[in-house]
Amino acid sequence: MSDEIIQIETPFQFNEENKREFDELIGRYPVKEAAMLPTLHLAQRQAGYISPAVMKYVAELLELSVMKVKDVVTFYPMFFEEPVGKYVIRVCHTLPCALRDCKVVLEHLKAKLGTDIASETNLAKGTTDDGKFTLMKVECLASCDVAPVIMVNDDLYKNLTPEMVDELLEQLPN
Amino acid sequence: MAFIKLNDLEIEVEDGTNIVEAAREHGIEVPHYCYHPGLSRPANCRMCLIDVYLRSSEMPERQLATGCTTTVRSAPPDKKLDGKYDIIVRTDSPRVIKAREDILEFLLVHHPLDCPVCDQAGECDLQDFSYRHGHDKSRYIEVKNIPPKKDLGPDVLLYSTRCIVCTRCIRFCDEVSGSGELGLINRGSHDEIDIPRSHEGIPIQLLDNKLAGNVVDICPVGALISKDFLFKSRPWFMEKANSVCSGCSVGCNVTVEYKADGLYRIKPRFHEDINQHWMCDDGRLGYHYVNSDDRLQLPQKRVDGELVTTQWADALAFITENLSEVDAADIVVIGSAQGTNEDNYVLQQFAHDVLKTTQLGLFGQLHGEEHKFPQFTIEADKNPNTAGARTVLGYANGNVVLEGNELWEKVAGAKIVYLVSGVPERSLEDAEREALEKVDFLIVQDVLPSAATELADVVLPGTTFAEKDGTFTNSTGWVQRIRKSIDPPGEAQVDWEITQQLAKRLGGEIDYHFAGEIAIAIAENVPGYGDATHQNIGDTGIKLD
Repeated sequence: MSDEIIQIETPFQFNEENKREFDELIGRYPVKEAAMLPTLHLAQRQAGYISPAVMKYVAELLELSVMKVKDVVTFYPMFFEEPVGKYVIRVCHTLPCALRDCKVVLEHLKAKLGTDIASETNLAKGTTDDGKFTLMKVECLASCDVAPVIMVNDDLYKNLTPEMVDELLEQLPN
Repeated sequence: MAFIKLNDLEIEVEDGTNIVEAAREHGIEVPHYCYHPGLSRPANCRMCLIDVYLRSSEMPERQLATGCTTTVRSAPPDKKLDGKYDIIVRTDSPRVIKAREDILEFLLVHHPLDCPVCDQAGECDLQDFSYRHGHDKSRYIEVKNIPPKKDLGPDVLLYSTRCIVCTRCIRFCDEVSGSGELGLINRGSHDEIDIPRSHEGIPIQLLDNKLAGNVVDICPVGALISKDFLFKSRPWFMEKANSVCSGCSVGCNVTVEYKADGLYRIKPRFHEDINQHWMCDDGRLGYHYVNSDDRLQLPQKRVDGELVTTQWADALAFITENLSEVDAADIVVIGSAQGTNEDNYVLQQFAHDVLKTTQLGLFGQLHGEEHKFPQFTIEADKNPNTAGARTVLGYANGNVVLEGNELWEKVAGAKIVYLVSGVPERSLEDAEREALEKVDFLIVQDVLPSAATELADVVLPGTTFAEKDGTFTNSTGWVQRIRKSIDPPGEAQVDWEITQQLAKRLGGEIDYHFAGEIAIAIAENVPGYGDATHQNIGDTGIKLD
């Protein structure tokens, strides 16, 4: 048995603004556990990804065991357990997008960014060397009428063509 | 009470009982995995599906119901079925049988066929229910998930491939131990039980609470495995004896599993008022001293300052020589809180009737820590029989049972001390050592070489809880049976038999043939123990008033 437990060198903590937001949102739920998802979103926005330190912090805030947090983090693909790029590009590849040539968009993105597609357990594979982009495939983004679609962080882009992708990437600030 | 019809049986059932339990009481098996009587009921395995008739005795409800969450209660008179039944349940209808087969096929989709190398084989619910209720083949032809084998903590391994995700272990850690180390990672058919880890797989927290071993017991398949027992034996090769844990004064009911060459494991046995379904890891893994190669096997006596092994007859003769010349006031006899009531009864009889001394003492394991969990407590008194030994040693006229400082002061002034220890790995505190060093002639009866035997003039090899019959009285007044499983090592003897031989050599009239006979004497003589014969105690014990 390796009795080795991870030592958290720099504990995570909400900054003042996020602390205020957390205090506000915790009041909306009947039990603390119910605030898990918004709290994790808040933490991921600040830390970039959910590290063991973040999990511990959230568990303490919500008075839960660390495992309860880990449980939720591994359930949802929107939470990352390792560092990702500044911009996370999610390419929808469900049927309507596939029929509308999402593959062309995806291949174009791959060539343009010079990276592979991330998998849920290996995000580094889809992250560019400069740490700016992470490219991943996702299931339906609920916008089939304007397929193919991609999401860049929280924004949805519709009816994409490779040219539009070029334009979009240029617009994104460094 | 509710009156229900279960298949073709008409039975009376207490309100609030679920169908799995009601059926079990009447010898009908309702297979189940996620349901455990000591835990909450998520009804996620779907194995205990049954047909329920609620509104008509002709037509079952449209959907099958889970037996574990279907509880019985008496219906108002106008709602009774056929004018008398509160509920009608069928566990043997064709669609129930079909549902079980199908559920089992699902559960086995990712399960490996590694029964030949699996520790659980022979006591596996998945194996048993597949045999009794399952299909003979699977239609699944795709690739199986092969999640990795994991190390969860000091004594628990997880073979994830075998897991059917019933979540009993998770609920145990949430509800009984309250430590919440276990949970599910990933989702859907990729669900795995795990402890919290970093993305690289390094644990953030280990499954190392003192009740962790219970998750191995409640795992219905071979997924959670005890490292202590891994690959040691097939379950069907071991004999079993119902006994009581000797690790602390809670007195958890246990099953000792053994072969001729020693103990192999200890598992908890249900007792409603004492340990429910659980026991702690200190007790579970604390048996190893019984199998130790260092066990005392022959008597020893001190010759020219050195302890040398000798024969029983010689050792006993050596003791009687030294005992016969001494005044009763200079003798102290010390019983053991690790010994049975029977051991201590014979010891006090020897002291009172033969040696004519009323100076007795009580020796035991040093105090440990108390550990409290939401549904379980490990007590600080690490002796199984403190209460019993104290009562039995002290009942007779004039007997004084000394403990702690008082005892060691008395020992320091005594010429002869007969110390029955039997306490494994017991060190001596300074005051205790100094007192024992002052004794002219020290007789120590013990199971292992110890700090006390080092000081002794004669060492007599006694027996552990696994090698004798008798009774322990726990801290809440339950008198319970321990049963002999293995033979004592070498020429070691049961403690009361040693005392009785000494008594006989000194002309005493103590003549018991088996522990049950002593228990009858205890029942006749010791106040409060009137009902405590072995026959009455049985497997569940009796509670003293």
